[in-house]
This record gives sequence, structure tokens and C-alpha cells, in this order.
Amino acid sequence: MLISYNWLKHYVDLPDSLTSEELALKVTLSTVEVEGVDSKGKDLENIVVGKVKKIVKHPDADKLQVCTVSDGREDFQIVCGGSNVVEDMKVAFGKIGAKVLWHGEGAPVELKKAKIRGVESYGMICASSEIGLGEIYPLKDEKEILDLSDLDIKIGAPLAEALKLNDVVFDIDNKSMTHRPDLWGHYGMAREVSSLYNKKLKEYKTTEIKPGKEISLEVKVEDSKICPRYMAVAIDGIKIEPSPEWMQKLLLSVGLRPINNIVDITNFILFDLGQPMHAFDKRDLGGDKIVVRKATDGEKFVTLDEGKHKLDENDIVIADTKKAIALGGIMGGLNSEVKADTTTIVFESANFDATTIRKTATKLGSRTDSSTRFEKSLDPNNAELALKRAVGLTLEMCPDAKVVSNVVDEGDFSLSTGPIELPLDFLNKKLGVELGKKQVVKILESLGFEIKEKKDSLMVKIPTWRATKDISIPEDLVEEVVRIYGYNNIPVQLPKFPINPPSRNPLRDLERQAKDMIYMEYGYTETYNYSFVSPDTIEKMGLDIKDHIELDNPIAKDRPYVRTTLLPNLLENVEKNMHYTGDLKLFEVGKVFNKNCFGVRAETKSDELLPRQDTMLSLVYSSKNDKTPFYNVSDVVSGLLHELGVDYKLKVDTLTNKYIHPGRYAEIVAGDEVVGFVAELHPQVQTSLGISERVGMVEINLDNLLKYVKDKNDYEPMPLYPAIDRDVAFVVDKKITHKEIVDSLQGVNKLVKSVELFDVFEGEKIGKDKKSMAYHIIYRDNKKTLESNEVDKVHAKLIKKLEKEFDAEVRK
Amino acid sequence: MKTKLNKILKDFAKGLEEVKNTLQLEELEQRFFSRRSGEMTEIMKSLKELSGDAKKEFGKLANEVKKELENLYSKKKQNLDKVKMGGIADKERIDITQPKLPKTERGHLHPITQEMRAVEDVARTMGFMVEDGPELESNYYVFESLNIPEHHPARDAQDTFYIKDKPDWCMRSHVSNMQVRLMQKYGAPLRAAHPGRVFRNEALDATHGHTFYQFDAIVVDKNLNVGQLVGVIKEFLKAIFKRDVEVRIRPGHFPFVEPGFEMEMKVTFGKGENAKTKWVEVVGCGLIHPNVLKEGGLDPKEWDGFAFSLGLDRLVMGKYQLEDIRHIHGGNINFLKQF
Repeated sequence: MLISYNWLKHYVDLPDSLTSEELALKVTLSTVEVEGVDSKGKDLENIVVGKVKKIVKHPDADKLQVCTVSDGREDFQIVCGGSNVVEDMKVAFGKIGAKVLWHGEGAPVELKKAKIRGVESYGMICASSEIGLGEIYPLKDEKEILDLSDLDIKIGAPLAEALKLNDVVFDIDNKSMTHRPDLWGHYGMAREVSSLYNKKLKEYKTTEIKPGKEISLEVKVEDSKICPRYMAVAIDGIKIEPSPEWMQKLLLSVGLRPINNIVDITNFILFDLGQPMHAFDKRDLGGDKIVVRKATDGEKFVTLDEGKHKLDENDIVIADTKKAIALGGIMGGLNSEVKADTTTIVFESANFDATTIRKTATKLGSRTDSSTRFEKSLDPNNAELALKRAVGLTLEMCPDAKVVSNVVDEGDFSLSTGPIELPLDFLNKKLGVELGKKQVVKILESLGFEIKEKKDSLMVKIPTWRATKDISIPEDLVEEVVRIYGYNNIPVQLPKFPINPPSRNPLRDLERQAKDMIYMEYGYTETYNYSFVSPDTIEKMGLDIKDHIELDNPIAKDRPYVRTTLLPNLLENVEKNMHYTGDLKLFEVGKVFNKNCFGVRAETKSDELLPRQDTMLSLVYSSKNDKTPFYNVSDVVSGLLHELGVDYKLKVDTLTNKYIHPGRYAEIVAGDEVVGFVAELHPQVQTSLGISERVGMVEINLDNLLKYVKDKNDYEPMPLYPAIDRDVAFVVDKKITHKEIVDSLQGVNKLVKSVELFDVFEGEKIGKDKKSMAYHIIYRDNKKTLESNEVDKVHAKLIKKLEKEFDAEVRK
Repeated sequence: MKTKLNKILKDFAKGLEEVKNTLQLEELEQRFFSRRSGEMTEIMKSLKELSGDAKKEFGKLANEVKKELENLYSKKKQNLDKVKMGGIADKERIDITQPKLPKTERGHLHPITQEMRAVEDVARTMGFMVEDGPELESNYYVFESLNIPEHHPARDAQDTFYIKDKPDWCMRSHVSNMQVRLMQKYGAPLRAAHPGRVFRNEALDATHGHTFYQFDAIVVDKNLNVGQLVGVIKEFLKAIFKRDVEVRIRPGHFPFVEPGFEMEMKVTFGKGENAKTKWVEVVGCGLIHPNVLKEGGLDPKEWDGFAFSLGLDRLVMGKYQLEDIRHIHGGNINFLKQF
């Protein structure tokens, strides 16, 4: 919201020495955030009131004239194309150095001495739009310059001063004042400022309305919960005209376009008190009765911005006996707006329920200055102040106007204004500072609280403008005191805590250990993907949409589902990156969402459980030079799980997932539990995802893995006797697995200490469906030094076993 | 015997002088020390034949000579080696600017992970346990338990992702969902941090993301006050930024704290003459609202609490001067490998 410094000064006298920046800082540090300070006159530097003394035709251009312009001291030669320029005219004279908007558009341009069609020009006679005054002084003709002849201003005076455009406007962050309904008008902000500077807030002056008898207005509020107060009065003798300049300037300063006296009065009150009002053209009301009711389901209504709305029974409408004439608290209707020939008006000044207004405004996408204020819970007392002020202003501006009806005041409201007991000890304990009673009372009173002092505490009555929801407990009063006292005046201290070490979070520790290992040892790079996936990817992967939780209001319409695995998005990363790299190793750790399993309790008082949200670790690897990327990722699994002390095995099982290569898949089993898998992406899915190379993938459920993690590996004492090693190479059928061979060979004799594969290959030479394997066998006796002939015997047995069990052709 | 030994010593020294290379040195060594017929070896052998005092006397002498020979030999050898290695700089010179081939591809940790760890580590050293919780959460823990009643603007659908057919669930819009969970789980006193991923229904652009990362911490204890809240956060920031920090607080409205603040830190942008200092919002904080303590099963008359929260994305964006927040979830290897 914009706040005008000049407007504030109507209600509080601030020291002249106070700069706008200082004020902005103080407000930011104590009340609400000032996001910007805009000095209006700043743009008008080097522009003065000038007088056109003489005009001659430009020798070389039909539409240009050469003017002699005086700034009161000197004369300047100016080339001007203004259609309305005449001698003796008072004009806005932009001197060299002034900044103007070329044709009223774009960024400001600094004026320099120029030659226009051969004639030198020392500045410019400006049009209103060229110096940002187009709204106050609208152009009637494109070539029209700003004529200031009618104004009583001195030649040579800076234009900003002459036109009283010396205002400073503060831009307040709306989000920082959602809890302060009282600050949505200048009067409330002035109250705050008066408290900050210890100045007196001027009274908000209104006069009692003298009712008339010509019209007997009747208002029926059907539900005072949605409309706690509705006030209305009719005025006749209205002449629709522009509002006075002082009002227009204030409205413009806060970004409102002046329209006419009546509309401007309601807008003025909106920004003055923060109370939205509305004026109806009495002619358009069928009768003298106004009804505040809920809309009927499907009721159609056109607001004065010509927005067409379909309403339902959650919306409030203001209606006459036949039709709706306003969308309550949001906007008036096109059917009853004030027009140029309006002579009788009905002013509405009401209070509506915050939640109802908020819901309607959100639903209809119609957030107005009015709804923004009502949804903060306004003080119903302001409705009355606003109506009185509006009537007063109307009578002032329209000399023939007269109140012609009773003043209606319907509805029912009550505010809880306390008192709240604020023990001084409680206050000081919360702040960590010793404030005296006097000081506290002074602060609270300056904000409008009424205090009754007790021995060690204060009985604090809440002013109505803070009682709608903002302040209700002693903690709220602590905040009031401390922000005026100054947060930054509180001495910084440190609490005294016992030095017990915090308990560990084993899952978090596991995550960290796994990540470190994977990125440092195996050269994988960590990536973060969104938690959302597209139905397209789900389908391509052959996952079931029914297993996915769906967002009600996804931002990316193409990604409405919550992920059940990290792989789909990782595979998208592969697709994108493989366009510019030939070798990609990525991993991610993150939560996935399982609709079919239960997780933690959803609420304290309910048995409902949230979906299970396990932390997954996934790897993807793809390389131009690797046709079986499986082994790279399985190597990571083996290294990682070894490091974590997890006893596991890889198990071949039947598959259910379409995206997995059926011949290159293994479950990772720890204990009896499947904690993840290693696989390659199915080549068909790979192609449909647009990935050029084979992809190795791993998925491990860290929550499940956690139980099998040991904080130390098994240790075997150092051997006392030397080992003897022998190699064996052989050709076997391709179907025989490494694991089968290792298991078998390890069982040959207890002297066999380790069986390690060091070479495997296939090829034409070997034969179809065959492979050649070579193992390194280590023999050792724990009790004595092995003799070579002992080993020879065992090794021969081992070879025989290979031949017998696997039909191996052993190379000799 | 004595003359023999003297002669050997003399001959050896003379021979050594004539030695020009390792090969000649070896020949000389063979001549004197060869196991079968070395001159010195012979002498040593002949000692066996002596007895009594003579054996003692000449044995000693022979050993002294042998030692002397060995000494001379090793000196000469060192000299020769030195000459030989003298050319190594040229002979064995390599191009040390050349990288190892094939290249070793390093892995990288995501910048958010790095920042998260740094902050978590600070929290742990200050005695905070680090906890984690559900990202898909009930409205109760995200809103109601935090004094954010239904129809509060913070609950707008435009800010929060809700779950289809489960109107009471949402993707948490802040990690403060953990506050009441932690109080319920651990009671008081409590010192816990709960960082994590949060979601807001905001259109993506260079400075706005719909997924980001917060770091929250709460303290529940007796006799806590605003001065301590500021003190703790200041220490925290000092440790994160590894320097003294100048902070100030201003009002900030969060329904789950009362009073609530925004803490700003003085940050210098640019260098030298162009350096400008600005106050930058870094932490939202406040004393825990009594209603929240109550939801956590704690008596607000007995316990106080404070809470603070910082945005990790903002720290990372500032630290590296990232130009586009979307890179964080972009999965582009050329981005990721810079960290």
C-alpha cells in the first residue's frame, strides 16, 4: 500500500528535520516494512515556471515556432511544436539538464542544448505527459503543451514547488501488515507514527449527520454474522464534478485516478480511514429498501468494472427489492453506479465478515482495495466515522446537496476489548530487559490502549481498531511494547544450557555417509529434482498412475503427480545431459511418496496415517563406451554396502516393472528384506525416453537399509602364515554365474581363503554360448606354513570340481 | 701380515683413484672382496689359521682395514652415483602440465546439500538435534497446530499445494510443521533443528521456485527471552558466515510466534569504491506462540520457546551469485559440476 507523507501530516505534526528516509526506517523497524520511498518532486528538477515572451515562426519548419521564454531572470530561445503555445502563456519550462519523457514514454532523457532544423534551442516547453503529470493535467491534443496561465504561481519558481508536488510516497509491503487492519488507511498509520515520535495524534474530525425526511431508507441485514454493520444515508442535490485539487493530488499520490467528486470521496475515505465505502445512484434503486443477503446459487452479477460473475450462496450481495446492486465488500454493480447526471446518491458504509469476503474475492479472482481491507477484519466502528466524514465532504463540495433520508444503522456486532492483565514481571521476563511501569503505560497509551494500573500489573483495554483479531493475549501486548521501545534496544544475551550432546539422527548420518562415498569414491554427481512427475513419464516407464498421489492444484499442469521413485526424473536428466556429454553419473537422495503404505500419524487426535514417505537413494549411469553399465552401478552398491557394514546379496527375481531390462536386474537383499535393486533400463523404454545409450540404475530405500547398517566392519586377525596363490582359467557355459562358481570353489577345502575373478570374456574363439573366466585363488593354512605340494593337491581337487559341476574346460 | 694389510689398503686406495665408472668400481670390489679370491677375503680367511695373541692382534687390525676399505668404497660409490644422476633432470623430464589420461571424473555434491550440511553442523555444535519429517503433511501440522486457523491467508490455495481427494493434506509450505511434532515426541526442554524441502504454489521464474529448502530450529526451555533469541541467532549466523555479523531485528508477522521478527544482516556487495552495504533479511524468528506450545502438549505458563528459520536457497544464491534459481533443480551436469 502507498502512504503519502503529505497525507500523514494532516494528522500528526512531525519535526521538519525528519527526513523521509529516517521515517521509513523507523516504521520498518517498529511497525511494517517500507519497501520503497518515492520523492515525487525529484523528477521535476530543472523544470521551472516559465513565461513565453515572444513567438516567431521557425524559418525552416511549418509546425515549429521559435519562442523566447523567461525564467524571471534570463530569456532563453526555445524551439517549440506546441499547438496551443501563445505569447504571455505560463508554461512548464524544462531547462538544460531537466529529465523528460520523450512523447510521454520510455525512460527519462536529459535535455541538452540542441539545434532543431538549424535553430538553437536551450531547453523545452513541456507537455504534461512529458514530465509525468499526464494524470493531473490530461492532454486534449497530442501536441498540446501544459498551460499554467490560470494558476497563481511565480515565474521562475521550481515547478514541483509551484504545483505543490513535493510529496514523498512510502510503499509499504502488504504482506507485513496482514494482521493490522488499522494500518490500511493514513489515519491509522499516522497513529503509529505519532507513537513512534512521541507526538500527538490529531482527532479524526467528523460532524453529526442531520437526517432528512424526504426518503425513508430501510435496510435489512439477513445475517449479521456476514455483515455485522450496515449504514446508509441518501443525499440529494449532488452535482457530479471533478473533486477539488487537494483531494485529487492526494489520490494521485497513492496511485488512484481521480474520477469525480463522489467516487473520489469514497476512495479518499478508503485510504484515509481504511474503510471501504460505496455510493449508489438512487435512481437505480427500486424503492427505498436495501437488503444484505447471501447470493442465490447461480445468481449472475456484473460489477462496475464490467466483470461478469456467477455467484453462489457463499457470497454476499447488496440488493434492492428486485435485484443485486453490489457485490458486498468487493465492488459495486454496473447497474447502479454514479454517473455524470446523478443527483441523488445513497452512501453505503458497512462492515463485512473477513473470511466470507476473502473466499469470494479469491474465488472470483476479484481482489479489490475494498476486499483487501475487509479480509483483515475491520473495526465496525469505522463504518460510522467514515459515513460522517463522507457526508461532511459531500456537503462541502456540493453546495446544493442535502441529506434527504434517515441514517440507517443495522446489524449487530461486539468486540472483545478486554481488559487484558499484563503483569510487568511477565513483560520484562519475555523481553530480557527491565522496563518501568511508567514507560510501558506511556507506550501503550500512545497506541490508544486504555490502562488501569494495579500494583505489579496493568489492566489493558484494547482499542476497537485493534480488537477485531489482532490483540487478545498478554503476549500480543509484549509485542506492542517492545516494537515501540525498539527491538534493537534489547540487550543481546546467550541462554545457559547444559552441555549434553544432541542425540544423533541415524537416517541423516546414513544419508551423509552414502552421499560422501558415492560422490568421492565413485565420481557420481548429486542432483536435485522436483518431487512431481508427469503422467507421460509415468506411462512411458510403465508405472501405474493409480499408485501415485495427485496434487489438487499443480502449478505445472503437466506434472500433477507426486513421485513414487526418483528414477523417472533422473532419467529425464540423463536424456537432457547425454546431448552434451558422453559419460554421465548422477545420483539423488530424496523422499518418495507411497500411497499404499502407511507412515506417521496425520494428526494428534486422529488415527489417520499419512502415506509412507521413505528416503530413497538412486543412481543412474550411462556412457558411450559402456554397453553393460550394470557393472558400474553394481560396483557402487558393493562398495557402498561394504563400507556400511551391510551383509547383503544380489538376487535374481521375476520382475513386474516394464522399464527394467529383464536380463539385467537384481534385487538387493539384506536379511530377508529387499532394500533396493540394481538394473539396466529396458532398451525399449530407453528409446522411448530419447536416451541414446544403455543406462545402469540403482535404487536403495535408506529407511529400510538403516536396520542393517553396522558401525564397524568384521575384522579378522592378521594371518601368521604366508599364503600361496594359484590362478585357474576355464571355459564354461554362459549361463553359469560367477556367484555359483565362487560358492562352489569356496567349499572345496578350508584352505581356500579367497576366490577372486580377474578376467572374463566371450568371443567366437571360445564358442557359442560360452565364456572364459579366470580366477585368482588364495590358499592359506591358519596353523602352519603351507607346503607347495599340499596346495597342488587341493588345487587339483578344485579343478576337478569345476569340470564336474560346471562342465568347465580348464586351460592347462 | 701387517705389511700385507697395508699394501692392500694402499692398492685399494690407488685402484679407487683410477676408477672412472660403476663398472670399474665393481671390478675393484671383485678384486678385493670376491668371495672366492678377493685379496681382502683371502686375508680374512687366513686369520683362521692363526691362534692366540697373533689371531687377536691381526684380527683386530684386519677388521679395521676392512672397515676402512668399505668406507672408501661407499664414498666412491656415492660420488659416482651423484655424477650418474646428475643428468636425470634432462633425461627423465616430463611435461608436468599435461593431465592424467584418461581423465578422472570427480563427483560433486549439490550446493544445497553442502549448505544444508554446513548449517546442520553449526546447529549440532550448539546442541541442537537434527530431525526430519514428512513432506506430505496434514493441514493440522502445517497450519492449525501453528495457530493458523482455517481461512487464514497463509492457507490460500495459491500458496499451498493440496492433495486431490484428501483436502486435509498438503505438500508442506514450511518446515515449521515439525515444531509441534517435535514437542509431542520429545517434550521439553528441547533444542532441535529441522531442515528440509518445502513447496509453494508459485509460478517459476529466475527468482521464484515452487520447491525450496528451509532450515528451522526451535528451543523450548524455561525463562527464555527476546534478548537470548537474538543472541543465539547471532552466534548461529557468525558460525555460518565465519565472521562477525551485524544484525538488526524488525517486526515480522508469523502466526506461530508472538512477538515475531525478521532478522536482517548487514551485507556488503561489490568491492573497493563500489562497495555498498545493505540490510538483507536472513532469518524469520520469534517467541513461540502460547497456542503452539499448548498444541505441543506443553504448559505455556511453565515453558517458553523460540523459533527461527532461514532459507537455504537464498544463502546459496547469495554465496555463488546464481543468476537463476531454476538451476537448483535443473539437473544440468555443467551446473552441478561447478560445486
